This record gives sequence, C-alpha cells and structure tokens, in this order.
Amino acid sequence: MDEDDEDFLETGGMKLTWPGESLTSSQDYMRGHGTYVDKEEVVASVSGLVERVNKLITVRAVRTRYNPEVGDLVVGRITEVQPRRWKVDGNSRQDAVLMLSSVNLPGGVQRRKLESDELQMRTFFEEGDLLVAEVQAFFGDGTMSLHTRSLSYGKLRNGQLVTVPPILVRRLKSHFISLPCGVDLILGLNGYIWVSKHVKENEREGEEAFDAEAVYSNQNDDIDDSTRMAISRVTNLIIILASRSIPLTDTILLDAYDWSLEQEGDVKDLLHEDASDALVTTILAKG
Amino acid sequence: MSADRLLLTLSDSSDSSDGHSRIEILNTGGYRSDGRRQYELRTISIDLSPQGSGADGSASLTHGLTQVNVCVFGPREAKMRSQTYHDRANVNIEVAIAAFSASERRKRGRGDKRILELSQTLKSTFEPVIQTSLYPRSQIDIYIQVLQQDGGLLQACVNATTLALANAGIPTYDFVCAVTGGVHSTSPLLDLTLLEENDLPNVTVAVMPRSGKITLVSMETRLHVDRFEEIFRLAGEAGKVIHREMRKAVKDRTEQLVASMQSVGRPSTGADVGDNEY
Amino acid sequence: MTSASISKAEKSYIQAGLLTSPPRRADGRYLHDFRAIYLETGVAPLSNGSARLSIGRNPLDGSGGTEVLAAVKLEVENIEEQTLDGGRIACNVSCSPSAYPHLSSGALDDLQHDLTTVLHQTLSHPSLHPKNLGIIPRKKSWLLNLDLLVTAEAGNIYDALFLAARAALWDTKVPRTRSVEYKTPKTFLSASGDMDVDQDTRSGFDTRHVAHATDFELPDYWDEGEILEGRERWPVAVTLNLLHTVHFLDATLQEEASCASRLLVVYSHESPTAYTIQSMRMLGSDELSIPHLKKLIKEAEGFTRSMATSLTTKLEDEDFRRNQKAREKFGRRK
Repeated sequence: MDEDDEDFLETGGMKLTWPGESLTSSQDYMRGHGTYVDKEEVVASVSGLVERVNKLITVRAVRTRYNPEVGDLVVGRITEVQPRRWKVDGNSRQDAVLMLSSVNLPGGVQRRKLESDELQMRTFFEEGDLLVAEVQAFFGDGTMSLHTRSLSYGKLRNGQLVTVPPILVRRLKSHFISLPCGVDLILGLNGYIWVSKHVKENEREGEEAFDAEAVYSNQNDDIDDSTRMAISRVTNLIIILASRSIPLTDTILLDAYDWSLEQEGDVKDLLHEDASDALVTTILAKG
Repeated sequence: MSADRLLLTLSDSSDSSDGHSRIEILNTGGYRSDGRRQYELRTISIDLSPQGSGADGSASLTHGLTQVNVCVFGPREAKMRSQTYHDRANVNIEVAIAAFSASERRKRGRGDKRILELSQTLKSTFEPVIQTSLYPRSQIDIYIQVLQQDGGLLQACVNATTLALANAGIPTYDFVCAVTGGVHSTSPLLDLTLLEENDLPNVTVAVMPRSGKITLVSMETRLHVDRFEEIFRLAGEAGKVIHREMRKAVKDRTEQLVASMQSVGRPSTGADVGDNEY
Repeated sequence: MTSASISKAEKSYIQAGLLTSPPRRADGRYLHDFRAIYLETGVAPLSNGSARLSIGRNPLDGSGGTEVLAAVKLEVENIEEQTLDGGRIACNVSCSPSAYPHLSSGALDDLQHDLTTVLHQTLSHPSLHPKNLGIIPRKKSWLLNLDLLVTAEAGNIYDALFLAARAALWDTKVPRTRSVEYKTPKTFLSASGDMDVDQDTRSGFDTRHVAHATDFELPDYWDEGEILEGRERWPVAVTLNLLHTVHFLDATLQEEASCASRLLVVYSHESPTAYTIQSMRMLGSDELSIPHLKKLIKEAEGFTRSMATSLTTKLEDEDFRRNQKAREKFGRRK
C-alpha cells in the first residue's frame, strides 16, 4: 500500500499502516503514540489504525498489551506481597502496584494501625487473588498504581476469569454489566473479564457498614445449576467472539447470549467449529 | 512445489553418503539444484495466527523448506529484577532448534555454542530496532523455535522475529529483512539451500528498507572482496522483495482485525483518540 | 502440569462445580469429556514419521490449546553389545518456553526431564519393541529417536504427549535394507572372523545360519519403507484427575491447579481382548484406597480403549488422505 497522498488525513477515512511507513510531514503535524520522526517525516512504529486529532498523529496498534490511563477500571491478579504493597499482574508492560494505603481496611477510613496491617497483608490479598480496581496514578517509570477504595472494587468471587486482547474492551459508561441471565460481568479495560454470579446491589458486602471479613473473604456463595451454566455459556461466547476480534459490548454479548439459547446442543458445543462460525456470522450480520 | 524440493534434498543427502556424483550447484542452463534461477528466491509463507501459550504476538515463516516459529511475550514484568534497566526494556532472545529439524538428528541444549551465537547475533540485530526506551524496567521475550532447516536459518529467524514483533504491537523503527547470498565460481546466488550453503562462500545480510541501512552482516566463510560488493547490492534488492511479502502479511492481518473490530457497534474514532493522550 | 496461578475463590468455584450434581465444568463439559482434538501426520518432512496434535485449541484462530509435535528419526547404529540386537528406542521431550512463558529456564529443564522419563520408560519397554528395527544381526541396527516438542500447554500434557507419540510411531516408515557381503581376501576375513567366533561362543546362539553380512545398502523402492511392526501396540495414556470421590478427564490448567492429585494410566490395546498396563503414576499428593484405585484402573482401561480406537480411525484417515494427496500430485505431473 503505497499511499503517498495525505488527503486521508482530511477525509476522516480509515487508514492502516505498519512499522517504517511514512505518514506525513513532521513540519505540519505532531507525532503521537505509535509514531516517530525521521528526516522531517512522521513515521509509524506499529501496525494499526492511523488516527488524527487536529495536528496530532497517532497509530493505534491492533494488538498490544494494555496501556493504562488514570481512571480505567481493570481486573488484576496478585503476583507478589511486598512490604506495604502488592504487585498485581494487569496485562501491562509491568506489574501494577497496589499500596496498602490504597485499599479499604477494617475499622473505617480514619483508622491508622499500619504496623499490624502490614503483618497481616495476606489476610486481605494473597498471591493468586483476583481483584477489580481503578488506575489511580503512575510512578515515574510508568508503572501504574491501583486503588480499591470503593465498595464496588476489591476481591473477586463467585465466578471465573476469561482474558481477551485489551483492544476488544471499549470504554463504556459502566464496566459492571448485569446480564438478565443472572450473570454479572466486569469488563476490565486490560482485557481481563470476570464472569460471575449476579449479586444484588443491596446484598453486596458491607453496603451499609464496611465489613472487612466479608470483603476479603475467599468463600463463594452457593451457586445454583442454572447460574453455573449461564456463567459457562457467557465465558464460551466471549472466547469465541474474541478469537474473531469482535469487540465486547453489552449489546453484542446480549445478542450472542440470546442466539445461543436458540441453538441445539449443550454449552460445551458452543466451542465447536460449526457453532463458533454460526455465532460469528450472526453477530456480524447484526452489525 | 515444496515437496519437489524436499525430494531433492533427501535424495542428495543419501547420495553424498554413498559417495555418488554430486548434484551441480548451477548447471549449464543456469538452473540451480532445486530448479531455481540464480536470483530466484524460494517460496515464502507467513502465518500470523496466535501460537504458544498466550503469546502477545507470533509468526510462523518458511523460506522453502526452512521453517521457524517465533513467539513474543511482552513488554512484561521481568522474571528477574537483576536483569532490568532503568531506562529501557531488556530484550531476551532464546533460540531452540528441534532435534528433528535437519536430515541428521542433533539435539542442541540451551548452552550450545551455535545456539548462543545465533541468539546473540539476533539480539544485537533487534535491540537497536525495537524502541526499548518506551518500556523502562520491562522485559521483551522473543522465543524462536526452529522446526526445519534447509539453509538460510539466520535469515528465517530475522524475518520471523520482525513479523512477530509487529504482530505483538511492539514499536520498531522499521522491518528488518534478511537474505542469504553466495557465490558459485563467479556467479552470485540468492537464498541458499543447505546444499548450496555447505558448498559456497556465503553471507547473510539484513536491511531496514526505509533507510536502506544494513543492520546485520554475518559471514562464516571466506568471500572474495570483489564479490562482496555485488552480493551486498543483490541482497539489498532481494531484501526489498522479501519486505514486500512481509508487509503484505502484516497488512492482511491488520486489515482483517480492524475489519471485524469495526464491523459491529460504534466505530472507534474521534473521542477515543483524545482519551489516549497523557 | 505447571500449576496455574489461581485464587482460592476460583479454585473453590471449580471444585464446587465438579462436586455438585450434576457436575459442571467451567467450559460446560461433563466429567469425562475431552476438548476437541486435532491431529495431522506427516508434518516434519525430514523425519521418518511425524505428527502434530492439539487438544482444546480455539476452532476459529487456533489459540489456547495444548499442542505437541512428535517426530521419529531413524539412525543406523553399530552394535557393540548383544543386547542391542534388534534396535532400540530413545524418547526425548522438549518444552518450548513459549508453552511455559512464566517458567524459569531451570524449571523448564526439570519439567522436560520429568516428561522425558515417563515417555522414555514407557515406550522403550521390550514388550512394545517393534521387531523390524534390526539391520544386520550383531552388527547394525536402527536407533529410533522419538522427539516430542511441546509448543503450547493448556493442560493435560501427558495424554497429549502419548497420543502424539503414538501417531508419529504409527506414521513411521523403516527404510528397506539389503545386506551386503564382501568377498574379502582370506587374511582380512580371518582377522575379523576370529572376533565373531569369540562372541558367538559366549552367546550360545546358533550362528550357522547368519550370513557374513558386514554392511547393507538402501535399495531404491517405490515407497519410503515399511511400517513399524506391531504399531497397534503403541499405548495410550489417560490422566484421571482426582477430587474426593470424582475423577475427570482432560483437565485445563485451572482444573489441574484445583485438584490435589492425578493418576496417569497407560494402556496398550493390541486387540479388543488383549490389553496391558504399560505404565502408571500417581502425580501429586493425596491418599487413595486400594479398592478406589482398582476401580480407577479398570475405568481407565475403558477410556484408553475408546481413545485408542478413535485415534486409530483418525490415523487410518490420515494415511488415506496423504496417499490420496500423493496420487493426485503424481497424477498431475504426468
């Protein structure tokens, strides 16, 4: 694709590029992510979609690790417990940091008993634990720091994790989705998706008074058979849609779920070739 | 087509062990042992679909019968903190050669000299091409698995690594495109098979097509200085041809992914771009 | 194999699912269901037999499964010791770091070593040895190298390795050989002959019918050689993942991390009536009562039998497909 004319930048049309490809003159435009400047030209460094906002040219890679932004909702897994902090795998360039001071602790916000808390950090989060958190800030080297200081954040229970390329999770108004089949979804912007049993708003732990024992519990609720099947169904649908690079929004997931209920066969059969193809065709046809 | 070449390779290996007459490198009609002309490259095939256990990017590439798979993991948290740099990512390249990849079985361990040398050559080729300064303290792991060898091993490793990096969305200044060249008496040949490689003085050259810069020259045999220049020029030309093939593969995959991402729901433009800035 | 990082809540979710009635697994499978298996033979042209096998990969983009490449290479060996008469088999498992991106190289070495031990000990046992690996008695024979390469792992590695091994061995063709006898001057013959006599006396075998072949040649044939004798005997493994009273098959990494122990049973099914256990391992730490163990071993026989049957059917299909392909190819050429 040797497209030398620069009109594309004006028309708002779609342009794809790959490393080493000249995009435009660096005198008229500024380089953004996914580009560099060489001999007065803005050149792509990744393969993906060229985007322009005013004078700024960026290339958004079609596949890449998660690039965090402050305020993003992410799902992560504890990899290490260190003094006064946890390291968290969040599918980014480095493990994220969750400071002891960035989580809700027993006894309310005003308390200060850091020494004893330090000794029992594993009673809050230990290696392997999954959590949902918000990106709070960045350290100097680009590491993200997280916080779970909200009642909707914290340890994850009652379900299973599925991972997808981060680009398939779009920024939505809310990343907590309740499907009518009794399944809750947490769409982490880092591509980690938590699929779990629906918990009613007013039954969430510590809604009235913060209950540390409940919030940091590893105990699942009782999960009935139909909910379990629904969780598996949603998980399989996500796996199939993601493998065809279809973005995961609430409407698409709902369409997919409804379609799957009309199909013959079991939940496990969704992962077979014919069913997968049929699902993708149906979703693409809906546009 | 590839099977025909296979027959040649196989029949040759048994021939040489029997001490039969050797196959001519270049016959009087100007054809090589596998039916190619002097400057003709072998068929390149590229597969960019996912491989390994959740690699961030991967590529499977063949030049004729030589086949290499590359998986890239990262940039990610370094396994060992001692191996990190405060101002850039650490690029770790590990090469493994399958014991069954050549006509003679040979198992090489990680500490094998030839493997270490190959990894080191690749590391010094790619370190300046990857924009490592964007990822301080991170690690980029590049795992190369050689599945079949019929000449041009280094060239295949370079080209497959370039593709896997692009596929993983790791920023690079350019593609790196490598090709092997050799000289039979006074005639230059490109993209050598194992048979030709064993017989001819040869050199592997890698170019960055945008700048035309050479990023790698590797020569294990002696080559007359007069020939060197010619081979160099030819390899540069061949690099462009290989670049075209590689670029097409990346373009096809990018198009395919973008098409399905935009096929449903709201197209992602405008607003998102603003969000991306910090 | 390598314990996936998993939280207590995830673990108990998986366990509770397996122990409810009816049991439910994360992907909707029943306890004894396998994920989809894909198999192709003849994937490594420089080998004498090969196969690529995957379990549970995504049907659309091929991601997320366990994948093993197996290849057989035959080498001529000069025999020094009598015991090697009739050839030998050596198995080797390599694990690509791309299959285990979180393991250190030391841990990867340990893993390769463990897998190699199980595969080698089982497959090189005399009861399975093919009769056509000899070339010249007491002089030369074939060394069969079976190399297995794990390129991706998503659980159930042992079953995958044994299935891939069986497929590659099934696919293996032993080159036809013809012994050659040299008519050498008497002096030379007596020199080497003496040595032979010495050995013969010690062995006590009747050697009068053995030709004085000293070397062999590879005659040109229309095919690549003959199949390994007794290829129906190559065994099939099943891993029974144990959780309290239930056992389940083809575990994912998360499921493997959720149960304390596994029982690996390897059966050879030469015919529907003739079957033998070739190997057995208890992996992990848990206690198991003898009656329970007996029951599991018996059930494993049924599982491996059906696996062996469907694998054989698939391998016959592959033979047919590739013959067809070769015919078409040569047909077009003419």
